[in-house]
Amino acid sequence: MHGLFRWSSKWWPGTIILVVFWAIAAWNSTASLESDLAARSASAVKDTVLDKTRIEVAGRDVSFAAEAFSEDGRRSAVAAVETVPGVRLVNDQTRLVPEASPFTWSAERDVVRVTLGGSSPLPASKGRLLEAARATLGGVEVVDQMHLSRGAPPRFDNAALLLLDQIGKLKEGKLTISDTKVSLSGMARDLGGREAIAAALKNLPEGFSVAANEIKAPPYIFQAYKDPVALTLTLTGYVPDNNVHAAIAAAATRKFFGEKVVDNLKASIGAPAGFAGAMVPALGALSRLSTGTLVVADREVKISGDALYDAAAAQLRASPARDFPPGWQVKADISVKPAAAPVDPTVCQQLFSDLLAKGQIRFEPRRATIDPDSAGLLDRLIETALRCPTANIEIAGHTDSDGGDAFNQTLSEKRAQAVADYLVKAGLPTDRFTAKGYGSSQPVATNDTDEGKAQNRRIDFLVKE
Amino acid sequence: MAYLATFLWGWLLASLLLGLAMGWIAVVQRGEGVSKRTSRWLAALAAVLVAAALARVIPGRPGYWLDLGLIMLAVYLVGCALGSWLRDRVLARSAKAA
Repeated sequence: MHGLFRWSSKWWPGTIILVVFWAIAAWNSTASLESDLAARSASAVKDTVLDKTRIEVAGRDVSFAAEAFSEDGRRSAVAAVETVPGVRLVNDQTRLVPEASPFTWSAERDVVRVTLGGSSPLPASKGRLLEAARATLGGVEVVDQMHLSRGAPPRFDNAALLLLDQIGKLKEGKLTISDTKVSLSGMARDLGGREAIAAALKNLPEGFSVAANEIKAPPYIFQAYKDPVALTLTLTGYVPDNNVHAAIAAAATRKFFGEKVVDNLKASIGAPAGFAGAMVPALGALSRLSTGTLVVADREVKISGDALYDAAAAQLRASPARDFPPGWQVKADISVKPAAAPVDPTVCQQLFSDLLAKGQIRFEPRRATIDPDSAGLLDRLIETALRCPTANIEIAGHTDSDGGDAFNQTLSEKRAQAVADYLVKAGLPTDRFTAKGYGSSQPVATNDTDEGKAQNRRIDFLVKE
Repeated sequence: MAYLATFLWGWLLASLLLGLAMGWIAVVQRGEGVSKRTSRWLAALAAVLVAAALARVIPGRPGYWLDLGLIMLAVYLVGCALGSWLRDRVLARSAKAA
C-alpha cells in the first residue's frame, strides 16, 4: 500500500496526455451525445399525448417544453424524460394546455371553403375532425384554424362529427358547439336540407342540445304559366307529396277548361305550411287571366298577367289575401287585356257556344251556388258578352232527370239567375239578361248514363236579336 | 453511468491503457514525484470537482465536460494503479529468481 502512494506521485506526467485526450473527446463526442439523448427523450414521450413538444439538449441536460392535456400526463412525460439513460438534469418547461370556458368549436362554410375554428380537445380528435370534413366535402378546401384546449364536454368528438356530416348539406352557414349547446345558422343547399339537418340533430350525443337552429331552406318554388297561344298551362317547381300533386293537377284541370295542363312538378319536402290550401286559390286567380304567370316562392305568391275586363282586374287585385291560408302574402300585378273588337250578335252566339262546349259552369251539387272553379269560364263569357253590347241574352238553366220535376225546375231557374247575377255584378247591364229555367225538359244527351246526365246539367247562353 | 461507459468506451479504454503504461513506468522511474503537499492540494481539487459533478451544479456542456474529464481521470488512475502493481509484481518475481 505504501508502494502505491510512492508510485502515484510519479503518475502525473500521464495526465498531460490525458488532458489532450479529454479535450479531443469533449470536442468529438458532445454533439453526437446530445443528438442521441434528444432522440432517446423524444421516443420516451412519444406515447404521451402532448402538443408543441420541444426538446433541446445541452451536454447531458435536457430542456423539455410541451403542453400536456392532463396533470398526470404532464408529470409522466417529465418522469419519462428524467429516466432516459444518460440524462443528467431535466429543465421542465412543460405546462398544461389552456382550459377553454366555454369550450367553443365551429365549422363555417362559405362559397369556396370550410373553416374549422375554435377549440379541439386532443390532437387526435383534431385530426379526426379535419379528416371527416375533407371526406364529407369532397373537393372543397378545408381550412384548419382549430387550437387545442382542455375542458371539452364528454362525447364532444361525436357531436362535432355529427355536425360536420351536416355541413355538406349547407350552401353557406356556421355550426357551433359551445360547451353542450349546438347552434346552427345558414342556408341549406337543397330543398329538404333543413329538414334533413333537423332530423340528424335528433342523434346528438347524450348531454348535447340544440340552442338555436336557424338554418334556412332555399325558397320553395312553384310556378304556373298560362300560354294563350299554345293553349297550355305549364306547372313547374315542387309539390310536397303525391297526394297534393294529384289535388293540384285535378284543380288545374277543373279550372283551366280550355288549356292543356303540362305537369312538370316534382315532389320535394320542405313545403311551407298551407301549401296545398294556397295553390288552389292561386291557380283560380291565374285561370281568370288571359295570359299570366303564377310564381310561388315559400309563402309569397306573385300573380301577374292580363285580366279579361276591368271588373275582373279589380276583383283579382282586391280579393286574394283572404282566400289564402294565414301567413301567406299575395302580390297581384294585374293589367287589363285590351278589349276585343265588337262583333255581331250571331258571332257572339257562336263564341258562347264554343266556350260552353269546352267547359260547363259548375254549381255545388243540388244547389244554385256557382263553383269557384268556373270563374275562368265565366270571365270568358263576360268578355264575350261585352263584345256584343247590343245583344240581349237569355241564360237558360237545364238539369238532368234526377229528382222531382218541380225541384229541377226551381233549381234550373235559380242556377240561371245566379249566373245572370254574376254577370251583372261584373258590370253588365241587368236588362240585357233574362234568366230562364227549363228543368230537365230539354236534355241534350241521354239521362241513362252519368256522362249524359253531366251533359244535361248545363247553362246555355242564347243571344236574342 | 452505464450509458456514458457504453457511449465513451473508446476514450475510456484509451485512458485505461494510458494509465497502465504510466503506472508501469512510474515504478522504475527515477527523480522526484509530486510533493506530499501538492498531492494533497490535487486530491482536494479532485474532491471539489467530484463534489461539483455529483451536485450537478455546472450546467449544460461544461457539466458534461467535467463528468467526462472525471470519468477519464478515474479510469486513468485505475489504470495507473493496475500498471504499477503489475510492474511491482514482475520486479519482485525477477528479484526472487535472482
